[in-house]
Amino acid sequence: MTATAPPTPAEPLPNVVAIGTRRRTTELGLLLLCSIIVVGAYALASLGRNASLPADILPFLGVILVLVVAAHLAVRRWARCSDALVLPIVALLNGLGFVFIARLDDQLAGLQATWTAVGIAAFILTLVLVRDVRILQRYRYTFGLIGVALLLLPLLPVFGQNINGARIWVAFGPVSFQPGEFAKIALAIFFAGYLVERREVLSVATFKVGRLNTPDPRQFGPVLLAWGVSLLVVIFERDLGSALLFFLLFLVTLWVATGRAAYVLIGFALFAVGAFVSWTQFSHVQDRVSIWLDPWVDPAGTGYQVIQAAYALAWGGTAGVGPGLGIVERIPFDETDFIVAIIGEELGLLGTTAVLVAFLLLAGSGLRIAKGAGATFGTLLAVGLTSLIAFQAFIIMAGVTRLLPLTGVTLPFVSYGGSSLVANYVLVALLLRISDQSIRRARNPVAAL
Amino acid sequence: MRRQIALLGVVILICYVALFVRFNQIQVFQADALNERTDNTRQLQRDFNEPRGSIITADGALAAYSEERRATLRYQRIYPEADLLSAVTGFYSFNLGSSGVERSYNDELAGRTTALKLRELTGFFSDVSSEGDVILTVRKDLQQVARDSLGDRQGAVVAIDPRDGSILSMWSWPPFDPNQLSTNDSTAAEAAKRFLDAVPQKPLLIRAYQDNYFPGSTFKIVTAAAGLESRTVTTAAPDYPVVTSYTPPLTTSAISNFGGSSCGGTLIVITARSCNSSFAQMAVEQTGPEPMIAAAERVGFNDIPPIDLPDAATSIYPVDFGDVVERPPGLAPVYSDAPRLAQTAIGQNDVRATPLQMALVAAGVANDGDVLAPHVMAEIRARDGSVVERYEPRVWRQAFSPTDAATLRQAMIGVVTDGTAQNMAIPGFEVGAKTGTAQLGTTPPRSHGWMIAFGGRPGEVPTVAVAVIVENLPGASSETGGSTAGPVARAVLSAALGAG
Repeated sequence: MTATAPPTPAEPLPNVVAIGTRRRTTELGLLLLCSIIVVGAYALASLGRNASLPADILPFLGVILVLVVAAHLAVRRWARCSDALVLPIVALLNGLGFVFIARLDDQLAGLQATWTAVGIAAFILTLVLVRDVRILQRYRYTFGLIGVALLLLPLLPVFGQNINGARIWVAFGPVSFQPGEFAKIALAIFFAGYLVERREVLSVATFKVGRLNTPDPRQFGPVLLAWGVSLLVVIFERDLGSALLFFLLFLVTLWVATGRAAYVLIGFALFAVGAFVSWTQFSHVQDRVSIWLDPWVDPAGTGYQVIQAAYALAWGGTAGVGPGLGIVERIPFDETDFIVAIIGEELGLLGTTAVLVAFLLLAGSGLRIAKGAGATFGTLLAVGLTSLIAFQAFIIMAGVTRLLPLTGVTLPFVSYGGSSLVANYVLVALLLRISDQSIRRARNPVAAL
Repeated sequence: MRRQIALLGVVILICYVALFVRFNQIQVFQADALNERTDNTRQLQRDFNEPRGSIITADGALAAYSEERRATLRYQRIYPEADLLSAVTGFYSFNLGSSGVERSYNDELAGRTTALKLRELTGFFSDVSSEGDVILTVRKDLQQVARDSLGDRQGAVVAIDPRDGSILSMWSWPPFDPNQLSTNDSTAAEAAKRFLDAVPQKPLLIRAYQDNYFPGSTFKIVTAAAGLESRTVTTAAPDYPVVTSYTPPLTTSAISNFGGSSCGGTLIVITARSCNSSFAQMAVEQTGPEPMIAAAERVGFNDIPPIDLPDAATSIYPVDFGDVVERPPGLAPVYSDAPRLAQTAIGQNDVRATPLQMALVAAGVANDGDVLAPHVMAEIRARDGSVVERYEPRVWRQAFSPTDAATLRQAMIGVVTDGTAQNMAIPGFEVGAKTGTAQLGTTPPRSHGWMIAFGGRPGEVPTVAVAVIVENLPGASSETGGSTAGPVARAVLSAALGAG
């Protein structure tokens, strides 16, 4: 650097401005493309169902453009240098999900549209409030407590709601939500903050077990804690999917922070023990496993959902039967957990592959953001948030296709569900914030100090 | 950290590749297997939510159509003629499956054939649906005649056009009402199915082509054909002795003529009088097993008839009569199962024939020896009335040589003019027939009454062949077949010929 006074953060270097402008132009172009795809799919689904173009196609296009442009302008204003791919992919997934929800249930479509608006508002609010991701690091323990509290909230006697066999809902008067969706983010912040601080200690092998060097066993405390909380969720809330997700989140963050495979091995060993004990002790876990092994034992009962999902996917074949032309109302929870089966029926293997690729691109963008953030709190947080989305999508799609036992979680951005949608928009806003900051810091090291 | 992030990316990639492989498995490689699973009702549900073509008789009566309903299943199948055409149309049920034309022409009715789909494509922007109507060869008026003349007697009627294999009538008693099975109220449909399954006469079994019986003396036409084809029998020789019974070699149990009467003579005479002794002797002494088996198989025995309806039964003629035990000079070799061979010659023992098969025997005789593939579909029409597909008649079997067919025709005409089927005569038409009384070997004796016949303008190829069975009658005399099945066969034949 020269002797001249360094530019202030408020006035970034010209090359940062150039990067930001380029990225935002790309983003806007991709967002418009996504809007066209989504409106096209919406029109086709209506044509398939009623043989007529939807009456609200122009208002629909208008609303989409308003939402997309609002999100885009917020990014342009408050996270100008952030990644250009994330928002378009999210918009595509959200829009595609909406088309299929609208095709399944008009009433849910209205709600989902409202939740999308709320989600984008939350997205903008997050960008406005979290101007520096390091603020979150400062409050890591608070977030940790909030996370655990949110996770355990459904267990409260009055507020907690038992819906569809899982106790993951909380109701405050008419408003009910799944606190677990927000707990994910709080815990990701806590894990990243806690581990970025301890990574030195945790990654040094000072303790000898025979010929193996491992870190001090006292440092395993947090691993055991995460495992314990996950087990608690499985036992008392019967939410296998979320439990698995939390455990994966912690394990991944820990491993990326320390680089020690031992944690992964120990983690999976603990997971195996926990899984086995749950299997022997809890009938709902046994049910899931036996359905996974052979759903045709009880095709009209326990195996019904998974079998119908397979039939829907098979019915779709390679190219699908066409939007709006599938046979619906056969799969319970087709608008939430099983929405990928409907997409697979109507858009075929091409549609499911597109969904897979979209999530893969999102994960790739997330990891690129993590990599770009150096070796900081931001990196670990980006890794955690990315893992949450990538593994959550994997867990539910693997469950629907019987690659893994079915554990009910939503397909991020695609499934119907307000809590999930709003939480995931906050998550994506945080990712963009990290991305934006790392670009500014890399191009403008002084400003990052 | 960078290394771990890269590795994490690989882990995620592997997870998604696994998902991709799994989606491929389900949506491509296992898709057909999954679609065809019996508990997978997607295809069926789609069919019930789309219009389906009608089934229409040759004389223009609506046999089946779909009515739109405001219900979960959008279309309800209706059979306006109730049980009259159920042997042909079958039923079409959401939970019980389907039968008859509803099953064999499902793709045409649902509009899934290439020809129908192409029409839909050409009308892409108009609102044309692709379902096809099946026009039957079966005539409603003949069905009514068959139903009225058979009455409440267990049995079946088949009438066929020998020239192209068109089935003109197919009636089976007891019949069933397809409306009861096809109702979209699945509980009611299941109850109706349970009831029908519990009826001892099994109404869901279409006796005309899905069950087989002792053909009795009607099978003598096949025995005669064996004699003619093997060149061991002509209209002049042998002249069988006039006896009351014939005792085959290697046994002491005789094969008697009906009522202990004496019977014998040359081919035309023994056919007209239906001499058991003579035909039994013919199979043992003149033809032997091989020509008998050959003649039976050439007319369609031991093979599934190529009718365009599901679950057709096979007619059976035994194919093993043991080893040669004796070679008498000038006669066929004697096989160890000679007594059985003698009984098969008169359509007893292990011979079983469907009424359809016996109608085909008459049709083959009428049509210069060629048996055409039997069928109930005349043509498929698109919704605009244009013909999409027409049934192409084809020869199924060359059962008899033209000269042998002429001899057999002469013999069967003799049965009507001078023999056991004189009640079959129709003024102004040339009618040939053969009676049958198949003994069931019960005490007291019971029998199936049979009549096979053909008729047409004199000097022309006969235009109608019929077979009638009246099952499980008390007694077993030479008159049983002619007096029970005969009037039914005559009524259907004369109505089909338009002879007032």
